[in-house]
Amino acid sequence: SSAKDAKSTSDEDDSRAVAQQKTQEEILFHEETIDLGGDEFESEGNETVSEDSNNFVDKLNEQMMESVIISDSPNNSEDDTGELGCLQEIVDQMEAKDNLKSQTEVDKEEFLSNESETEHEETPKDISEIGTDDQASLKEESIQEAVKEEPKLGNNVPVETKPNNIDESTPEDQILSPSTTKPSSEAEPIPVCTIFSQANNAGSQPQLFLPDGFEPQMVKSPSFSSIIETPVKSNPQVVQPSPSLSKFFGDTVNTNTLASDFFDSFTTSNFISVSNPNASSSVPEQMSSLSNGGDGSSSNPTFPVQNGRPEAGGPPSSLEITQSPKPFSQIQAVFAGNDDPFATALNMSELDRRNDAWIPSEETRNVLISVATQQYSAVFIDKENLTMPGLKFDNIQGDAVKDLMLRFLGEQAAVKRQVLNANSVEQSFVGLKQLISSKNWRAAVDLCGRLLTAHGQGYKKSGLPASHTTDSLQLWFVRLALLVKLNLFQSAEMEFEPFGNLDQPDLYYEYYPNVYPGRKGSMVPFSMRILHAELPQYLGNPQESLDRLHSMKIICAKILENLEQGLAEDGSMTNITQENRQASVQLWRSRLGRVMYSMANCLLMMKDYVLAVDAYHSVIKYYPQQEPQLLSGIGRIFLQIGDIKTAEKYFQDVEKVTHKLDGLQSQIMVLMNRAFLHLGQNNFAEAHRFFTEILRIDSSNAVANNNAAVCLLYLGKLKDSLRQLEGMVQQDPQHYLHESVLFNLTTMYELESSRSMQKKQALLEAVAVKEGDSFNTQCLKLG
Amino acid sequence: VMRLTKPTLFTNIPVTCEERDLPGNLFNQLMKDDPSTVKGAETLMLGEMLTLPQNFGNIFLGETFSSYISVHNDSNQVVKDILVKADLQTSSQRLNLSASSAAVAELKPDCCIDDVIHHEVKEIGTHILVCAVSYTTQTGEKMYFRKFFKFQVLKPLDVKTKFYNAETDEVFLEAQIQNITTSPMFMEKVSLEPSMMYNVAELNTVDTAGESESTFGARTYLQPMDTRQYLYCLKPKQEFAEKAGVIKGVTVIGKLDIVWKTNLGERGRLQTSQLQRMAPGYGDVRLSLETIPDTVNLEEPFDITCKITNCSERTMDLVLEMCNTNSIHWCGVSGRQLGKLHPSSSLHLALTLLSSVQGLQSVSGLRLTDTFLKRTYEYDDIAQVCVVSSEIKQN
Repeated sequence: SSAKDAKSTSDEDDSRAVAQQKTQEEILFHEETIDLGGDEFESEGNETVSEDSNNFVDKLNEQMMESVIISDSPNNSEDDTGELGCLQEIVDQMEAKDNLKSQTEVDKEEFLSNESETEHEETPKDISEIGTDDQASLKEESIQEAVKEEPKLGNNVPVETKPNNIDESTPEDQILSPSTTKPSSEAEPIPVCTIFSQANNAGSQPQLFLPDGFEPQMVKSPSFSSIIETPVKSNPQVVQPSPSLSKFFGDTVNTNTLASDFFDSFTTSNFISVSNPNASSSVPEQMSSLSNGGDGSSSNPTFPVQNGRPEAGGPPSSLEITQSPKPFSQIQAVFAGNDDPFATALNMSELDRRNDAWIPSEETRNVLISVATQQYSAVFIDKENLTMPGLKFDNIQGDAVKDLMLRFLGEQAAVKRQVLNANSVEQSFVGLKQLISSKNWRAAVDLCGRLLTAHGQGYKKSGLPASHTTDSLQLWFVRLALLVKLNLFQSAEMEFEPFGNLDQPDLYYEYYPNVYPGRKGSMVPFSMRILHAELPQYLGNPQESLDRLHSMKIICAKILENLEQGLAEDGSMTNITQENRQASVQLWRSRLGRVMYSMANCLLMMKDYVLAVDAYHSVIKYYPQQEPQLLSGIGRIFLQIGDIKTAEKYFQDVEKVTHKLDGLQSQIMVLMNRAFLHLGQNNFAEAHRFFTEILRIDSSNAVANNNAAVCLLYLGKLKDSLRQLEGMVQQDPQHYLHESVLFNLTTMYELESSRSMQKKQALLEAVAVKEGDSFNTQCLKLG
Repeated sequence: VMRLTKPTLFTNIPVTCEERDLPGNLFNQLMKDDPSTVKGAETLMLGEMLTLPQNFGNIFLGETFSSYISVHNDSNQVVKDILVKADLQTSSQRLNLSASSAAVAELKPDCCIDDVIHHEVKEIGTHILVCAVSYTTQTGEKMYFRKFFKFQVLKPLDVKTKFYNAETDEVFLEAQIQNITTSPMFMEKVSLEPSMMYNVAELNTVDTAGESESTFGARTYLQPMDTRQYLYCLKPKQEFAEKAGVIKGVTVIGKLDIVWKTNLGERGRLQTSQLQRMAPGYGDVRLSLETIPDTVNLEEPFDITCKITNCSERTMDLVLEMCNTNSIHWCGVSGRQLGKLHPSSSLHLALTLLSSVQGLQSVSGLRLTDTFLKRTYEYDDIAQVCVVSSEIKQN
């Protein structure tokens, strides 16, 4: 028999070669070949027996546990009698079999570390080297099979070894199939199902955007494309607003309104706290002197910008009021009838302190103290401790929708596509907001970049000393937030990097005692901290996110503790009135809640469901008004895990909570949960009924509409499902041209017919009319 | 054709800001307008929007393969007598999955025939879904085409077992179940179906205040590559327990039945093959302890009860000898006749002994001699007993 074994090993090589050929053929004729590869499995099954002696330790560890064969399925495995028949043999072979099994297991483990290929190279040698008992056991296996003489039973034995082969062939399949099937799909007239053949394209597409944040096509307006490179390179020492900016700023400079147009204060806080009309005139000088002392760079680009702020010290403009109407009106209500500017100023500083409070690290605090004590002499600070941000790329503007239109619909159609871009709006915060709300986030990112360039923190300015203002940090926040919204995480990370952990001394107001006299706290908006903390989780490093969130949580808790002890937020002894203290506690509690929210989301992303559920529970404490939504969310988490019973329990809790408050929303929530529960129980018909029920109450409910359509598909009603989704998109494209809806729609088009391209292109046209440049074109699956 | 795995929930990326920030409430408003967010709790990442499966995904042994089959008339002609057949070819068999085998009389342009098929996957390895469509064109021409969709069925779980034989006839089964898929798995049921010889008690819950609580705590699911250990206690049924001595060699213990659920209740079920155990060999004569005190006084006699079972195929005539050790002193006559013992029968024996040394002492020194074969069986370290000085015990 050993001769036979030897032969089978030598055969093995051949058969493997054949098998590989076959798999390649299969890939090429992906849909035409029937090849079950049965013989592959037989021959390769032997391979797994072979094992390096390296794993002997593993083997020893494993030996105690006996691996168990999983039979096909309950209904199929009535093979007990057969097995009993050959029990005796099994007993005799117990030991040997144990070896074999532990080996195959080790093999499998190794396979996971992707070393299989090299393993196989050594295989033939190993088999001959291996002790006889392995071979004997192998022989026994085959005898057992023979004894049973039932094909079904035969499956049991190789079950353990098979996964090897499967793993081996699938990656190849996956890598090759998308590339090979596609050309054929275009060549052949026969309909091809792209869904079925592992739609890897979804995975490969993001590469278009991710690696560097650059769009392949740069859309630049011809008017300033030529200038954009030169200024930046010409002289990095003498920093000037780049000509590209001065070109469209040119007019304003001449007319003396300067940059104030687009660089006015928007937070209603900046200079109001100064409240001294005389202070404003002195600001620029002090500012520049500070920067002179600090870093020696002679011409600070922010100078003209700062200069253009004579009105900043005055009352907030009407614009500002519309921008942040709420706090303002609240404050005015509190101090109603009080026209005293001093009181207003006091109140604003109260607000400032509350919002900007942050507890710096020991090191940073020391620097800040030294700045405060040596007000008139320059303070020298390590360059490493300074925040020196700059744009990492100067123009990401582009419009993926338009690109696709050019490709599929021709130039004529593409010309019709009109979206706002950074040039077509006012170069100010107003324009920025316009871009954001019209969903032209790419253009908005650009505009932020331009405004920051005007601030001396433009392209290639990273690493150069800069001075920060509330405005510049807010601009950074908006830019980075938009990058995250656009899923350009890597770009966001790159630009976030100079900010370190957002705790450098020059990010605190105390660092600029002349510019912001008496003002304390951090310039970094709280939301920017959240953004900064959340970012790593989107880049595959959720642990880092959790770390950052935890340190935020600690500071928030500390601030709340300080407030409770009658201190100011940062722990200093300041008198705070009762209502201010109350307001502050409220603010910081909600901020703490926001941090908890992020933590929960992060844990959910990490798939640590137990902790995520705990975290969501603690969020309820901070946002009690969101209890039903959060409980439903927890229920859905359990549904996703597959724990239907616990999900049901949570859904019942929701019903209890919402029982008290009636209203449309809670009613919908209850119905929605019931529908989801039925989904979990595989009852698509019932689920559809509940989704439809919601539509009866609220016919514009996008979620219910979409979900009902999805249910219809699972019920085998493709046409109905399509009709529902199409109707929904046509009815209110403003709302329903959503990524997920369109994704479902295109998926169904692909299923419906091989001529899905036309319908997808029609969708593209609809999108082109309604959506801004931030639209994620991947969901159209036109690539 | 499209595989119908369960839909997934859309997750969005919350970006928020505060009112005092530059965008004001712009970001928050954008999130409110986004239909995929949860109204009233926009920061919640997990939305309610269902999205269709994006790719074939993985399919595992024991799961149900569902697929949507749609035959769409792309042409502008009416075709007749359409017959759609869906077969699943595995390495060992070919299954017909079509719900109906009746031909559809005609299919107008841009219309389709839909079918959703389900199949519980019972084999590992390559599966090929074969969809065959035959129809007649307007010109009466018979047309036929087939399409193949290949997929691999993977193994979802790795199960390892270990047996412990207790001094009593109980058997403890330890089973390690490892999730070797890439998604979390909710273990709905892991139970041991015992063979006819055994009763089983699951030891995976702890009774606290009348409520049984899983030993796995709140964590009801298995992460990828996580292993969970289950413990079962098997007791031979009364009628077999009597003949415990004859349970020899390999016995069939039973099989594990595992039911799990994944995303949105996608269900899978597997059973292991019959688990077998090598019963411990007791030799010809088995001596087991029935009763023994745990703590005894120094130099005071105490009683133990032994059970002697004849596990051999022949009748024995036994003589009991008791040899004192350093610490254990037997009371009574050594070398007494125990009489004849038939195969598979047992007798109970009360013995008295005392210990002269404090501490944990091992009971040793029993010798049984079969006078027929002149064979002596030695029994040492039968049990341990804690010996304490009598004063301490009185205190």
